[in-house]
Amino acid sequence: MSAVILTDRPGGLALAFNWKRVAFTLSFSFFWGALFGLGWNSGFWSAVERFVGVGLVAMMVFSLFEQWPKRMPRWLPRWVLQVVAVAASVPVVTVTMWIWSTQPGAPPFWEVQERMTGFGTLTGFGIFMSPWVALGALVRQKEALARERALALELAQSEMERQALDARLNLLQAQVAPHFLFNTLANVQALVDAGSPQASDVLRSLVAYLRAAVPRLNEPATTLGQELGLVRAYLELMRMRMPDRLQFELKVDEAALGLRCPPMTLLTLVENAIRHGIDPNEEGGRIEIEVRRYEDRCRVAVSDDGAGLQATDRGLGTGLAALRERLELVFGDAATLAIRSREPRGVVAVVQFPARAEAR
Amino acid sequence: MTAERPTALIADDEPLLREALARQLAQAWPALEIVAQARNGREAISLFEETRPDVCFLDVQMPGLTGVEAARHVGRRAHLVFVTAYDHYAVQAFAQGALDYLVKPVEPARLAATVARLQERLRAATPATHTEALLLQLSEQLARLQDRSGTEPLRWIRAQVGQTLRLIAVDDVDYLRSDTKYTRIAWRGDDGKPADALVRTPLRELAARLDPAQFMQVHRSAIVNLRAISHVRRGENETADIHLKNRDEVLPVSRNFLHLFRQM
Repeated sequence: MSAVILTDRPGGLALAFNWKRVAFTLSFSFFWGALFGLGWNSGFWSAVERFVGVGLVAMMVFSLFEQWPKRMPRWLPRWVLQVVAVAASVPVVTVTMWIWSTQPGAPPFWEVQERMTGFGTLTGFGIFMSPWVALGALVRQKEALARERALALELAQSEMERQALDARLNLLQAQVAPHFLFNTLANVQALVDAGSPQASDVLRSLVAYLRAAVPRLNEPATTLGQELGLVRAYLELMRMRMPDRLQFELKVDEAALGLRCPPMTLLTLVENAIRHGIDPNEEGGRIEIEVRRYEDRCRVAVSDDGAGLQATDRGLGTGLAALRERLELVFGDAATLAIRSREPRGVVAVVQFPARAEAR
Repeated sequence: MTAERPTALIADDEPLLREALARQLAQAWPALEIVAQARNGREAISLFEETRPDVCFLDVQMPGLTGVEAARHVGRRAHLVFVTAYDHYAVQAFAQGALDYLVKPVEPARLAATVARLQERLRAATPATHTEALLLQLSEQLARLQDRSGTEPLRWIRAQVGQTLRLIAVDDVDYLRSDTKYTRIAWRGDDGKPADALVRTPLRELAARLDPAQFMQVHRSAIVNLRAISHVRRGENETADIHLKNRDEVLPVSRNFLHLFRQM
């Protein structure tokens, strides 16, 4: 499954001075500055200037502790540091401002009643207001993060649904094999034309195959018994088509028949053995299917003595890859599919999965 | 006109279909004598040399040599008719190449038309029309259709594990490293434990066929499955090491590939 990546969050200065933050700080402090400016001793613009100054510094302090230090001690949450630092920055800024704006030779501002009023107002207002604004910003950030996480989760879910759908689609494609159908029908026609008594048997196998194959599209899992019925019908049809080249044998543990098995599991392996093992081999070969149940595991092995892995290069693996996906969909990590060469000739494919009874 | 009956060879790996075609031909062209029935491409060639028929009916899909390959051997020494089961691509190729072909199950009307055309050519003693170039092109086309591996990302790797050859799903591969003569494949075996396998295919060739969304080349001699990476540790002097999940070994990242792991 592909990982879902959270959208990259900007860091550093880009985050500290992002336009939304700056615009909010400017307009917020301008608003209060203008309001207080109406009755400000040293004039309207002086008030705006100072309010905006305090606001900007508070914003920078907020941004500084948002990213620095990189690691926080466990006993001090970052948001506490940010809120406290923002509040603490206010008196530092105001004191600096008032000292700076003192004319040379004039008495310090704390000795001038009028200036003290302005200082007190801005400092008090700032200390009171800035923590709330900082908290508000933090809450907004948390909400945005939660929304992003929810979105990512949704994305991951839809990704999983898409994969399930893909597996279904692959199943569909695996089933619609007109080449097989028309070739088989050509054989049936040949038997009917020849008036062969075998025709009716073959038609019965074809019907069994189609009946087993067609309604499976909507079933997430079937039983091994059903799968074996499908495979038996398929092999009967193939034996009719190449009577001198195909032999097969099924060794089935009765205890495994009721077990749950993703649709087309066995058929995919057998089709593969025919297509890559028997078909390309002039002499044909023999297919053995063995189904065993061991306590809580089930082992299905399909082996052939055909052309072998060396010769298999054409269109290899789409069917098998789809089978892997289906197994994963039903059993997660608990199922395995292994394909290896066999001595002296041929290939063996082994599927192992947990033995679970079909819930019905 | 000579009294000699025209002769034909039928090649199909499915016996019922060989007999069916022979029976249908007996009705549509009673004068035609079926002198040979072949079970595969190789047999078709040797029986052709033995009997030298006027017409060859060749199934396209046969074990060993295909019908088209057998046809290349026959060349213009006989009139050729290809027989195929429903197969969109092959049929299209035959139609474009103006070759005679029949689709299984064979319809009597279609067979009658083909027979009429063949009778006409035999009467006028027209040489067979197919050219070597056309057949070569066709056999290449068919081979390409069967081997679509060139266009799709690789999903299975055929590799030597101890004494056996195995198909390893690329999803199970942790990383690939080029060895002197081989490519070493580190993968998770059936029990999920780390295992090793060897292939003769050079890393370069595998790199081109692996899905770039899943595998990343991090070094001239190493390709890693992104899902197997636990973390990447940067070293001094513009290098980095890749640490893997469930594996002790560490993969190098060379300078040229370091940009892949820059912090976002």
